[in-house]
Amino acid sequence: MQILLVEDDRSLATGLCKALRSEGFITNHVAEGKAALHTIGVDPPDMVVLDLGLPDMDGLDVLRKIRSSGSTVPVLILTARASIDARVSGLDSGADDYLPKPFEIPELIARLRVIERRLSTTNDSRIQVGDVALDTIARQAFYKGEPVELARREYTVLKSLVENCGKVQTRDQLESRLYAWGEEVSSNALEVHVHHLRKKFGSDFIKTVRGVGYTVRKP
Amino acid sequence: MKSIRLYLIMSLLAAVTLGNFVAAVYGYRSSMAETEVLLDNQLADTAAIMQMMRPGTQRVSLPPSERLAFQVWTADRKLVQRSKNSSPDPITELKEGYRDENFEGYRWRVLSQFDADASLWLMVAERIDIRIDLADNIVLRALLPIIISLPLIAAIVWLVVGNGLSLIGKLAKELREKRADDLTRLGTANPPVELVPVVDAINGLLHRLDASIKRERRFSSDAAHELRTPISALKVHVHNLRKQFPDNNEDLRVLDRDLGRLSHLIEQIMVLYRTSPEHYQASMRSINLSDLARSVIAELYSDVDARGQTISLSGTSQTIIGDEDSLRIMLANLIQNASKYSPEGASITVSVDKEELGIWLGVKDTGPGIPLTEINQVFDRFRRVGGDRHGSAVDGCGLGLSIVKHIASLHQANISLQNNEDGPGLTVSVFFPADLHVFMGMEGNRR
Repeated sequence: MQILLVEDDRSLATGLCKALRSEGFITNHVAEGKAALHTIGVDPPDMVVLDLGLPDMDGLDVLRKIRSSGSTVPVLILTARASIDARVSGLDSGADDYLPKPFEIPELIARLRVIERRLSTTNDSRIQVGDVALDTIARQAFYKGEPVELARREYTVLKSLVENCGKVQTRDQLESRLYAWGEEVSSNALEVHVHHLRKKFGSDFIKTVRGVGYTVRKP
Repeated sequence: MKSIRLYLIMSLLAAVTLGNFVAAVYGYRSSMAETEVLLDNQLADTAAIMQMMRPGTQRVSLPPSERLAFQVWTADRKLVQRSKNSSPDPITELKEGYRDENFEGYRWRVLSQFDADASLWLMVAERIDIRIDLADNIVLRALLPIIISLPLIAAIVWLVVGNGLSLIGKLAKELREKRADDLTRLGTANPPVELVPVVDAINGLLHRLDASIKRERRFSSDAAHELRTPISALKVHVHNLRKQFPDNNEDLRVLDRDLGRLSHLIEQIMVLYRTSPEHYQASMRSINLSDLARSVIAELYSDVDARGQTISLSGTSQTIIGDEDSLRIMLANLIQNASKYSPEGASITVSVDKEELGIWLGVKDTGPGIPLTEINQVFDRFRRVGGDRHGSAVDGCGLGLSIVKHIASLHQANISLQNNEDGPGLTVSVFFPADLHVFMGMEGNRR
């Protein structure tokens, strides 16, 4: 997995390169927008981590140029601009994810892993949380090493929870993933799926956050 | 000078009086001259009538008069006839024309004429003091209305000046009613020419003030903003060091914790600048408070869960007009406070509900609550309950609640703290009044 880091702050860039390499990402670094566009044109990376405050051009313009050149390379924006509006305009310009500074490194790595799994180019398509494991390519769930049969919607809910383990997935977030399958979702559909998942993976595995949503705890 | 009105009235009245006085003096002098000519002519007429009545041919008995006197002399200086009030000596020399003479204790105006047919001198005299009295009366009558009208003029000036000065009052009212954070130009349409320099100067001052406050604010915001990148770099380096010293290095743990505190403080300061009124006014939208609370709880869940605390959302789905960024920060600060100051295993309940007069947001914890004596001081900046004794176990900068209050006041919302009645713990309530939000909604549409 090759990452192009576009960041003009030398210290942050050096530290990030080191951190990402230790996580097994092949990381290249450029400090300017033009250099980034050049690199993407000549040697396309698998992912771009883009800072918005670049010395030669605005990061959003770099992003728009990447997209207008027809490239679909996933872009994660890393920026000191943290407002909702900045976030929305970043995602509207074609970013895949948006992480405001100052960020936690494990958070950045987790998000890069999500993108990585989506690209399905990784050998590590397994996500393991305690006794529960997921093979995201084979769309197969395991409990204590044994395969577990899941309906597609159950798998979707489980994957969303496991990928974001330690965080709460709100009802809206989970339901929007079910809607993505193009099916009508009845008001208690989510509860039914969670009920089935609990039966298969133990009642403590998925925790309810009353009024908010569900979460899977980090082991 | 204490009063422009008084000053104007005094000086205008003085000017009017002076003008009138000069006019009166001039009028008096010309009236006197006119009167003198008139009375001289009258004296000449009297002489002409007397001339027609030849002495000797007919006895003329003139009515006794103090005012007039006469003598008739022959050419060889013999007194032919005289009025009772004249002496036997000639009043004046035998020479034709008008002259002023003294006799019988008065000053007289005398006309002497020589009648060539009868060869007689006729002298007719009139008392000058009586003439002056007459003239004085005439002039005084003319001046009287001017004197009487002075108080009237004063009253009119008082009203007119007051009316003119009311424009200053209007300007003052507009300045008085200006909000502290409203540095836009004064709205006075077409100020009078005399006030234009004042209005221009005030507008100039407002403009400079606005620019400098914006500059300050931008600087503070930019400075905090610029700090985010080095903080991120520090975090990355600490992370990398951790990888090299995996065995729970104490120094690294302390470094990491202090970095977290620094980062938190910078974020909170930035919030104070980011939620300035102008930023907030432009970003007012309709926001589902329940959805927002849900999203903030989801974001903060791992921190709450790490302390073994439970958190839940209750109530109904409610919408208010507000600024999403700052409301998010407000909710996060309230929940973080509840979590930070409550022990492990505590439970936090966030509620959103509709009340008769508005929307109510509550964050309830089962922590120790706040002593009644300190409940009013917790909104002060950098204030922490228990003062320095607090610091050992809990990290914080003491800005959280003052930011919450700031954001609440930007939304015209009331905030109150109450120790729970049904057990230990604190409930922070934020109340968004409904009518204000209707009003603000209209504001939002106009923009």
